[in-house]
Amino acid sequence: MLRLVVQSLLRRRWQSLATILGVALGAALLMAVFLLYRGFDQGLERGRQRLGADLLVVPSNATVDPDRALFAGSPLSVYMDKKFADLARKVPGVRRVEAQFFTQSLHLECCSIGIETRLIGIEDQVTRRLAGMSPDGRERLEKDEVIVGSELLSGIGRPGALIELLGEIFKLAYRLEATGTSLDYSILMPMASARDLAASSEALKPVWQESGDPHGLISALLIEVEDVGRIKEVGRALEDLGSLKVIRAADTFQRLKRLMGAFVLVLAGAGVLTALGGIAYLFGHFSSVAWDRKGEWALFRALGATRPRMVQLVVGESTLLALGGALVGLPAGYGLYRLAFVRLTAQNAFPFVAPGGVLLTGATLGALVLYALIGFLSAAGPALRVAQLEPALTMAQGDID
Amino acid sequence: MSVQFESVREGDTVLEARGVSRKYGSETILSDVSLRVRAGEVTTIVGPSGSGKTTLLALLALLLEPSSGEIWIGGRNATGLSDSARSRLRNTFFGFIFQSAQLVGSLSVLDNVLLPAILAGKPREKSGAARELLDRLGLGPRATYLPHQLSLGQKRRVAIARALLLGPSVILADEPTNDLDARRASQVADFLLALPSEGYALVLVTHDRALAERAGNRWEIQEGRLTPPEHVPASSLAHFGNRALRTNINGAT
Repeated sequence: MLRLVVQSLLRRRWQSLATILGVALGAALLMAVFLLYRGFDQGLERGRQRLGADLLVVPSNATVDPDRALFAGSPLSVYMDKKFADLARKVPGVRRVEAQFFTQSLHLECCSIGIETRLIGIEDQVTRRLAGMSPDGRERLEKDEVIVGSELLSGIGRPGALIELLGEIFKLAYRLEATGTSLDYSILMPMASARDLAASSEALKPVWQESGDPHGLISALLIEVEDVGRIKEVGRALEDLGSLKVIRAADTFQRLKRLMGAFVLVLAGAGVLTALGGIAYLFGHFSSVAWDRKGEWALFRALGATRPRMVQLVVGESTLLALGGALVGLPAGYGLYRLAFVRLTAQNAFPFVAPGGVLLTGATLGALVLYALIGFLSAAGPALRVAQLEPALTMAQGDID
Repeated sequence: MSVQFESVREGDTVLEARGVSRKYGSETILSDVSLRVRAGEVTTIVGPSGSGKTTLLALLALLLEPSSGEIWIGGRNATGLSDSARSRLRNTFFGFIFQSAQLVGSLSVLDNVLLPAILAGKPREKSGAARELLDRLGLGPRATYLPHQLSLGQKRRVAIARALLLGPSVILADEPTNDLDARRASQVADFLLALPSEGYALVLVTHDRALAERAGNRWEIQEGRLTPPEHVPASSLAHFGNRALRTNINGAT
């Protein structure tokens, strides 16, 4: 039976090819949109988990893009007195305060990836929180140890490897899982080490002349509140500490999600419309085929094909065409997604985590099942009409070759 | 080669029409037709255009349902059988040779011969038989050809091979020598008329005078009424043509 289906498709090879390409277009768009959406969704979620904070506090003179600061993990080259960390801990409603210290951007000649590499000083409690993202659950960093973003120094990926930073030697503690943010291109180290390194750097001296001794500075505070319902109140109290700017994570999170949602909606709408167009095209194709090839179908009926077998034949052709289209379109969709992924991560405009193998496999299998279903449904009506063809038709017709 | 029902012996009735009528709307095409087809014999049906020959063949072959009367196959009433049962009988009990070869253009000669087996879901086990038939009909070297690469006579022989593939009890041939030159027509006739000696029942609808005379056992159909051989005058082969019948079949569908 498969032989009949395949031979029939091969005989009408240009028509089959056009149908396959039409279906492939929809499949490519659906796959690309799905992967982008999942990548963004995962990135946003991981960014939120990584942040573990409801509020981000920075100096009031900082020019901050909340999206980039909170979810793209973009470090800020701004500084404030470290006393604000202690003051913030005393504000009613504050449960947890984490201070971070960012140095100026650095450039690693050996491992340049085309964008700047940053050093971030973190407190011990941050190290403990990141333990979930380390291979062996490490909760503590030695003074000379660093955590490296997933996209950096791929050539020396083993823990214990030596890394030279601004003339000092550090050891690789572990590599972070991909976050889809600029953290993937950052190096984290104990707060004290980051300050020492920054203070000893000749290149950074002008910064400290302006901002003061780095040992007394921090760049940002990540704050978790006790009651999210009182977040505005806590935010106002923090701003009252003086010269501070407070960014609410929830607002930014929701706004980003809405923004990306609209973006995905447009793309998904286009994908769904293309898929529906594919169904309509296949339906039209097989409706017309049911008429054009009635001589052939009637012959099959006369030679003993049962009605279910006729349905199998027509639906088989349609399903094969749809699957063929999906098999062409899915890799193309993956390519399209990779293209967008490279662009997005280069810009660090959105938090983005590349979907893993399991998701990719699942998406591919799901799409194949979906397209098999589309093929089946689009030809079901014409197939039923073909099955009703009167076999006696064959007595009245001329040659069908 | 021939695969017959175990209970069927030469001379047994394998196919029978009992008082069969067929109407298209208010027009009666066949009226109260009765006919017995026996294993190992030829049954020839002749008649002028529009007399009901092809309609009768379609009824005997379970391609059409009679308006009244019954079709019996192998001693069983086949009237009112389900579509699946009728399809299976068409597949295994009958071998069809249509007016035109009706080969499928996208399939090779071998696959065209295998078509009934493919539709029955058993092409592999019949592959050897299909090649044997092609050899027997002188088409072995053309097994991989496509139909458009064959002459009319070769196409007709492919159609004969297809009809014989599953070893049917009854071969139904509708104008099998139509459009063939005298030499090719004679070759086809030789082959077909040898089939009853192998146990096949052959139902031949023709307006080929030479073929009808050679075949014998000639039933004549006139205005939808069938006359048995013993009442058919020798001068009955004067009317040919069947275009009007095509119109009737089309009207029914």
